[in-house]
Amino acid sequence: MTELLEPRAIGRDTVRRDGEAKVRGTATYAIETPVQHPAYVHPVQATVPLGRITGIDTSAAEAIEGVVAVLTHENAERLASTDDREFAVLQSDEVAFRGQVVAVVVAETSELARQGADAVEVTYAEQPHDSALRVDHPDLYKPEKINPSFETDTAEGDVAAAMATAHVTVEETYSTAMYHNNPLEMHATTALWDPSAEVPLTLWDSTQGVHPDRAAVCEVFGLEQEQVRVICPFVGGGFGSKGTPHAHVFLATMAARAVPGRPVKLGLTRQQMFSLVGYRTPTIQRMQLAADRTGRLQAIAIDVVEQTSRIKEFAEQTGVPTRMMYASPNRRTTHRLAALDVPVPSWMRAPGECPGMFGPEVAMDELAERLGIDPVELRIRNEPERDPETGKPWSSRNLVQCLREGAERFGWADRPPAGHREGAWLVGTGVASSVYPTMRQATSTARIRYEDGRYVAEIGAADLGTGAWTVLPQIAADALDVDEGDVEVRIGDTRYPIASVAGGSSGTNTWGSALTVAAREFRTKFGRSPADGDEVSGDVDQASKDDAHAAYAFGAQFVEVRVNVDTGELRVPRLYGVFGAGRIINPRTARSQLLGGMTMGLSMALHENSVWDTRLGQVANHDLAEYHVTVNADVGDMQAHWLDEHDPYVNVMGSKGIGEIGITGTAAAVVNAVHRATGIRIRDLPVTLDKVLTALP
Amino acid sequence: MRFLQPTTWAEALEARAAHPEAVAIAGGTDVMVAVNFGRLRPPVLLDLTRVAELQEWAPDDGAVRLGAGVPYARVITELGDRLPGLAMAARTIGSPQIRNRGTVGGNLATASPAGDAHPALLAADAEVEVASVRGTRRIPVTDFYTGVKRSALAPDELIAAVRITPPSGPQQYSKIGTRNAMVIAVAAFGLALHPDRGAVGTGIGSAAPTPRRATAAEEFLAGELAGLWESRGELPAATATRFGELVAEASAPIDDVRGTAAYRVHALSVMARRALTWAWAEYRTAKESRPCD
Repeated sequence: MTELLEPRAIGRDTVRRDGEAKVRGTATYAIETPVQHPAYVHPVQATVPLGRITGIDTSAAEAIEGVVAVLTHENAERLASTDDREFAVLQSDEVAFRGQVVAVVVAETSELARQGADAVEVTYAEQPHDSALRVDHPDLYKPEKINPSFETDTAEGDVAAAMATAHVTVEETYSTAMYHNNPLEMHATTALWDPSAEVPLTLWDSTQGVHPDRAAVCEVFGLEQEQVRVICPFVGGGFGSKGTPHAHVFLATMAARAVPGRPVKLGLTRQQMFSLVGYRTPTIQRMQLAADRTGRLQAIAIDVVEQTSRIKEFAEQTGVPTRMMYASPNRRTTHRLAALDVPVPSWMRAPGECPGMFGPEVAMDELAERLGIDPVELRIRNEPERDPETGKPWSSRNLVQCLREGAERFGWADRPPAGHREGAWLVGTGVASSVYPTMRQATSTARIRYEDGRYVAEIGAADLGTGAWTVLPQIAADALDVDEGDVEVRIGDTRYPIASVAGGSSGTNTWGSALTVAAREFRTKFGRSPADGDEVSGDVDQASKDDAHAAYAFGAQFVEVRVNVDTGELRVPRLYGVFGAGRIINPRTARSQLLGGMTMGLSMALHENSVWDTRLGQVANHDLAEYHVTVNADVGDMQAHWLDEHDPYVNVMGSKGIGEIGITGTAAAVVNAVHRATGIRIRDLPVTLDKVLTALP
Repeated sequence: MRFLQPTTWAEALEARAAHPEAVAIAGGTDVMVAVNFGRLRPPVLLDLTRVAELQEWAPDDGAVRLGAGVPYARVITELGDRLPGLAMAARTIGSPQIRNRGTVGGNLATASPAGDAHPALLAADAEVEVASVRGTRRIPVTDFYTGVKRSALAPDELIAAVRITPPSGPQQYSKIGTRNAMVIAVAAFGLALHPDRGAVGTGIGSAAPTPRRATAAEEFLAGELAGLWESRGELPAATATRFGELVAEASAPIDDVRGTAAYRVHALSVMARRALTWAWAEYRTAKESRPCD
């Protein structure tokens, strides 16, 4: 147990420290980095889905005045490590997916680079490719582990026996679509290789972690950490797609090394992002639920089929929430992958929990319907006292309170009956649970220095737009027991001490812990009257990590939908979420995170869908004109609330992380509401107008 | 790529004649997307935004002559009363930025089956005024669309204007997309009632290889309304339903990423029935005076 920081700055809705710079446009993003006389890099992408390059003619491109260099697998430098085949750019003649980069053109302007890229002639020996995910794909295999290092399969008791004898069962297959992260700021890297400098390589990269970014670049290019600096003060969103570097970071570095002393800029286009920066695998989820007549689960099982790329494995942990969400004596989870000739999938907001809270939460609604039990009540009846997966007690678990408070706020008790009609609209309400694990990373260090009457804390963390610039000073101020205005926190540069990736909703938990350790060491060493220049460092305190408890944030989402009886058009007048996510550091930035997650969940329910063309092996709707995301006009009243939760087991702030939980469960709540309105159970996302057509009178 | 910027209509037509391979650009909301995506690499771009004559509209011989370069935003703010159907269509297009740039002339030149202006132009019996150094001609909009993104425009011609007669009766426009803003239509429908000549106009969008009229539906409805124009009596529900069915039958949609063919057929019948119901209700309550002058 940890004594939590006394909240003075923590809990206040202070304005974003970086807000004014962003509103005024003075915040500098990676592609805008002011550098002297930059050259521009544009990739050439493979136009076949699988095969070998038989020839590359760069002469026409090189003949264009203003083209500085053309790099291909024939002339590019050999990398120190090619173990990661996504990172091993321009190292061979193999094409593993359509859109893979086969050359880059470096030129005086971005337009000339693009023109040069168009002028590169590549010929291929194309081979038959396989890019279609099927539940009965003949080459499905069991990965050794699933992201990041969970067991692939788990089993307890006998699901089949329970299914055979239970009062009620649900056995259905659900599917989620392929999704692309699509942050507003497209991926970009500005790179400078200056061999004569003390630090020869500088990267201004749009990343969720300057230190992990640097580690990957060092590994691939065989450089020492001291030789590389990565800078990233501001990020225009990432949603996981900037959590690990992708091919463009290595291409930009390679291009910079080809023109020593001259900075280069590589900014991906929106369309290139659909091949090069990761995505969420489509998932197929076969669910089994068995329950007695009171609704108590006798079995819960999920068998997941999803895809990865042939050159690099990413196994989305879709079945993981089924392992711990509800009590049941018999349970099973499995994951099987098809390795296809497709771009490399990766993290996207709440990998695992986001798709993995779709099938189970719709299945629970189907079970409630078959039992004639209110779906809120059904979830409450299956509340586990301890974590079903590990047997550990919960650090805190307030799912039931979230469900009850949400039901109260939403007016659930007075909800209209199934199939209720108001004029031309069928009205339905739906509920689903949300969950996300509470994590703290093993490595992060903060340095605190007393400087000109203020406390300056430095940590190489990242702010994706989430609010780290704002909440870290709040934490540091309380840890130092000073006014927030007396603290400055600097992030986004490898010159600051090592920090973990902004991912897994763990940034604030991890970096805040390190800041607190450093603050306490500072006070121990220098007291309350430090001298100018006094300085200490502190590491994240894994020693105090509580392994005796299972730590998760929970939530409940309630949604009202209206389906037009004539056209099937869908309206979402209300979407409410209530979360038990530990102590909220800053209500202003927290509300944005939760509402943003819920919006993305709504988007997954209604709109987002990377339409995969299995003949060509590419996303057909690879731009924001056709890859629709939910917009303001698609939703009415959205509310995010949280419980005043006190959890002494997670970390010294008592915070659980809020970046991802909002996206989990939303899509299931929408599907459940559509069913309540229309009687149609849509098990394949997204919910489009044509899928409800058969239900219309 | 050459970039031509004529400042007068005569210069524009000469440039067009000299460069039949040129792609004309006005608002750029179609052309620049195609260029950006690498689908279009014209050797010559003919920029029409400096031709003042294209940027104006004016009453002309009982019609509104709408210059090809007038953006949708101005159609909405300046012509909402005179050209209600087209203004309704314009309101559904893109975002404010797109409506500030995009033009009816550009919509016609692209001739996409999903272009939002087409159903309104078809319903209103618009004429497209095209010109070349050889002279000027008017093409009924019904004859303008010749195939998917193909039109009756000759290689040396440019679109000068669209001529639309302000309606003698109500107009409606309806569009369904997969979200509530900034979408390409899954299906669209335009309707115009012409009580002065006892006629009905229709336009179907995004549900056939070209924008098209529902001729059988128009003739059916004109027949049904023959006895009702004068009395302004109630429209039988069966008439509206049958009208919707006939509109749907006139379509020839496909399945695509935005929706299925079956959904489009259904949606068109609904939109046509609704549009008629709204338009007739408006007609019944309208004062004796003409709604527009």
